Amino acid sequence: MVGIDPKAATKTPPKVVTIRVRRYNPVSGREWWQEYKVETHRGMTVLDALLKIKEEIDHTLVMRYSCRMGVCGSCGMVINGTPRLACQTQIAEVADEANPVITVEPLYNFPVIRDLLTDFTSFFEKHRKVMPYLIRNDREEQEDPKGQYLMSREDYEYLEEFTLCISCGLCYAACPVAAIDPDYLGPQALGYLFRYVIDTRDEAWEMRLKIADDEHGCHRCHYAGTCSMVCPKVVDPAQAIQRLRSILFKYKLGLYRKKKISGISPPPKEWKPRKPLPPEAKPVSSEVDYKKLEEEPVVIEVEDRRITLRHKIYE
Amino acid sequence: MAASRIQVWQYITAILLIFFLGYHLAERLPWLWGYHHYHETLYSQFVQHQYHSWWAGGLLILAYVALFHGLNGVRGILYEWRPRWGRAWDALFWLIFIIFAILGTYTVVKLW
Amino acid sequence: MSSGGPRTKRNMPGLLRASLNPWLVRVPDHPERLAFVLHRVTGVIIILYLLAHIVVTGTPAWRGWAAWDSLMTQFNNIWNQIGEFIVAGSVLFHGMNGIRLLLTEFFGLCLGEPEPPKPPYIPPTYRACQRKLLYAVFALWPILWFVAGLLIFGVW
Ligand code: SF4
Ligand code: SF4
Ligand code: FES
Repeated sequence: MVGIDPKAATKTPPKVVTIRVRRYNPVSGREWWQEYKVETHRGMTVLDALLKIKEEIDHTLVMRYSCRMGVCGSCGMVINGTPRLACQTQIAEVADEANPVITVEPLYNFPVIRDLLTDFTSFFEKHRKVMPYLIRNDREEQEDPKGQYLMSREDYEYLEEFTLCISCGLCYAACPVAAIDPDYLGPQALGYLFRYVIDTRDEAWEMRLKIADDEHGCHRCHYAGTCSMVCPKVVDPAQAIQRLRSILFKYKLGLYRKKKISGISPPPKEWKPRKPLPPEAKPVSSEVDYKKLEEEPVVIEVEDRRITLRHKIYE
Repeated sequence: MAASRIQVWQYITAILLIFFLGYHLAERLPWLWGYHHYHETLYSQFVQHQYHSWWAGGLLILAYVALFHGLNGVRGILYEWRPRWGRAWDALFWLIFIIFAILGTYTVVKLW
Repeated sequence: MSSGGPRTKRNMPGLLRASLNPWLVRVPDHPERLAFVLHRVTGVIIILYLLAHIVVTGTPAWRGWAAWDSLMTQFNNIWNQIGEFIVAGSVLFHGMNGIRLLLTEFFGLCLGEPEPPKPPYIPPTYRACQRKLLYAVFALWPILWFVAGLLIFGVW
């Protein structure tokens, strides 16, 4: 992972930083660099600074974010030339008194919708293409499971790092192949694909290998490895793709044997009855009339548009 | 489209290249052959003799293998550059491969 | 597309910048990317040389060995030597780095073992022996290229 400095949050960033934002207006087609001066505080992240700009200086600045804590993977941006999560990048990490300028660009290799907002449509299409879910031969059993799919601890630890992907797209933005070939499946999708190929619970691995075995699949990767360098979750897609390709070749030459598919845990002998609630716990329903809530959906009016919200959980 | 059907040969040819090209380059090391200068190994006196030995077959394999490996590498770059023209790149790859393979074969067979 | 409507901007660096600039994305301590660009550039140099080489070595078959010898004398000038020097360097790098790529991409070796992430969060690939092989390539390459230069320029 690039330059994650765990002590950065304890450092004091420069009092005022200049944030240079690569902006784009989709209607006029204009592209330009805009500079904002932002007063900082200790522990401020680049996302905090951008939100401060949006609140106090220029509300036309557009970006995507959600969790603000490196979990959702929406705030990927190119900060000082490196794809990073804006919410995980401390100002103190990327700027100092000597050089208090931070450049922020939209992620490379993704179409830009506006300013820092990028279009992930084709990225997620590729993600869907690799079928990122368990597939068993016994579909009926999978729909109505009788037990758990077993997995040994070593098997789990072997693929754990590849399961941590948050689909932030930083690896895709860093990849030199994705920079040329818009059809390239990309490190994120191929990493996922590998993770299911080696999963001892998955039985569709031959189908998955066929998806990887495409001119725009794993053969396009050149092991430049920048994907692993920028990944905020240490997923190491570069390694995953090389292993995937090696498996694919061995499979083609008839030398690959997948580990034995794991079995299903036996169903419990008897279902234990649920423990009764402790006497002090009371259900809330006496206060809220759920029936009424359902009948009268929440309505939010925004200018000329009416948005109706119906609480799914009550249905 | 099983891309690995061609791509696996990219690696097999690479393994072969290590040995065949290794020997071909070793032919240019003068002291292995009793010469004093690299340039002496380029003249007919030395080269002609190579075509009459077992190495003529090696040269032929080397030509095919190197052509395949190199042209397929270029094909990959072209695939990245214009993915939609994939078929055209495949055709161009085989065309150039065949033309130069014939050229190489003619040279080796004629000089054998 | 209707004129004046919102349009997304294509934001891809393209073939030349991606294949020639190892610093397209700024990442510290990352020789693999440099190796990728060098591998690609040297590969293109070598295939161009190979095509010319096959044509030129056809000379004795078409025009006889005397023609070949006079061609070799003609080629023995500084510009050709510089060209040969560049090709020799390309072959040396491409070959040595190619062995590393064979081990990693084809045999799946030297990649490090997958493991649950732990501090300092360096992916296994960068602690694996492929990195050491890469350093070895970068160390050997100038030495062997220098030796090749001595041969080609006739110093030796
Ligand atoms: S592999 Fe890493 S960089 Fe790529 S999308 Fe997943 S979390 Fe993000
Ligand atoms: S290792 Fe492969 S997927 Fe990762 S950045 Fe390099 S070329 Fe792209
Ligand atoms: S806002 Fe969720 S990862 Fe940054």
